Amino acid sequence: MSTTPDKLVERYLKHLEVELDDVPRDRRREIVDEISGHIAEARAGLEHETEADVRNILEGLGDPAEIAGEARERFDVQPTPPPAPYKPGALEIGALVLLLIGALVIPIFGWVIGVVLLWLSNAWNVRDKLIGTLFVPGGLGLSVLALSLLLASSGGGTSISGCQIDPSTGREFNCIDTETTDPTSFTDVLTVLLVAALLVTPIITTAYLAHRLRRHPGAAMA
Amino acid sequence: MVAVGKQDALLAQMRKGTLQYCVLALLADDERYGFDLVRSLAETDGMVTSEGTIYPLLSRLRRDGLVETTWRESTSGPPRRYYRLTAAGRGALDAFKGEWGRFRDAVDHFVERKAG
Repeated sequence: MSTTPDKLVERYLKHLEVELDDVPRDRRREIVDEISGHIAEARAGLEHETEADVRNILEGLGDPAEIAGEARERFDVQPTPPPAPYKPGALEIGALVLLLIGALVIPIFGWVIGVVLLWLSNAWNVRDKLIGTLFVPGGLGLSVLALSLLLASSGGGTSISGCQIDPSTGREFNCIDTETTDPTSFTDVLTVLLVAALLVTPIITTAYLAHRLRRHPGAAMA
Repeated sequence: MVAVGKQDALLAQMRKGTLQYCVLALLADDERYGFDLVRSLAETDGMVTSEGTIYPLLSRLRRDGLVETTWRESTSGPPRRYYRLTAAGRGALDAFKGEWGRFRDAVDHFVERKAG
């Protein structure tokens, strides 16, 4: 027997399953099973099955979309509405702002509120929310804290750029290589890189979350 | 054209509304399996256009407790799910029969008189 009729049937049932996607699973299974059985019965009744026979059987059953429409009606399933143009709400904007700079406004709590808003929103999926929470706890608040710790520890005022700022006048002075005042060791380089990463990561994370917001409205449903 | 479209939709709704009672009536005397049931309905002209749409209805009737099902081995292939009327299904069918008779007579009374 040619495999083409089998392929036709397989394709039809797969198509039906896809169309029934929003029908509760047990009902979807039941309908697909019954229709699969119907096809098997009809095929068993043929003496010499041809591809045309199988096509007629499938055509008699009707378009999978029509069957799915009937199922939705019989089971009072609301058809999935077309995705509405998405506008980020106050929740999402609040989450993005507070995650980034919340800790600068209210130490620790500002960021924590941002995390709560992030997880309350259904505009992001769990993976996005984990990224938003873990990169980086405290947001720019942590970066600023790390930066000030670095400045404090590197001999009272050596900035990353290698300038010192006179605390009384606010003027830059002693703009020489940090090596002369504080010889750069491997650890120092690492520390500076870490602080730089801490500065950049929250910004990247926020940009990523904002990007996801635009591309995946209601991604949490998936 | 709009009027014709509306009439088509109305007829489709009437067909859809009465279809479940036709299924119950087919099961009144005997249990039947899906394929057999669908073929009987499809044989009557104008009742079913797509055979596949019967299966969601059967599933619904089963969940509403109007029919119940049993799997039985078949001599010619895989087991078949047989549908049988429940007491509630018989009650629903009888109630519909009474209503339908009155409704049909009332409509006939007007439609046939005007036509004739």
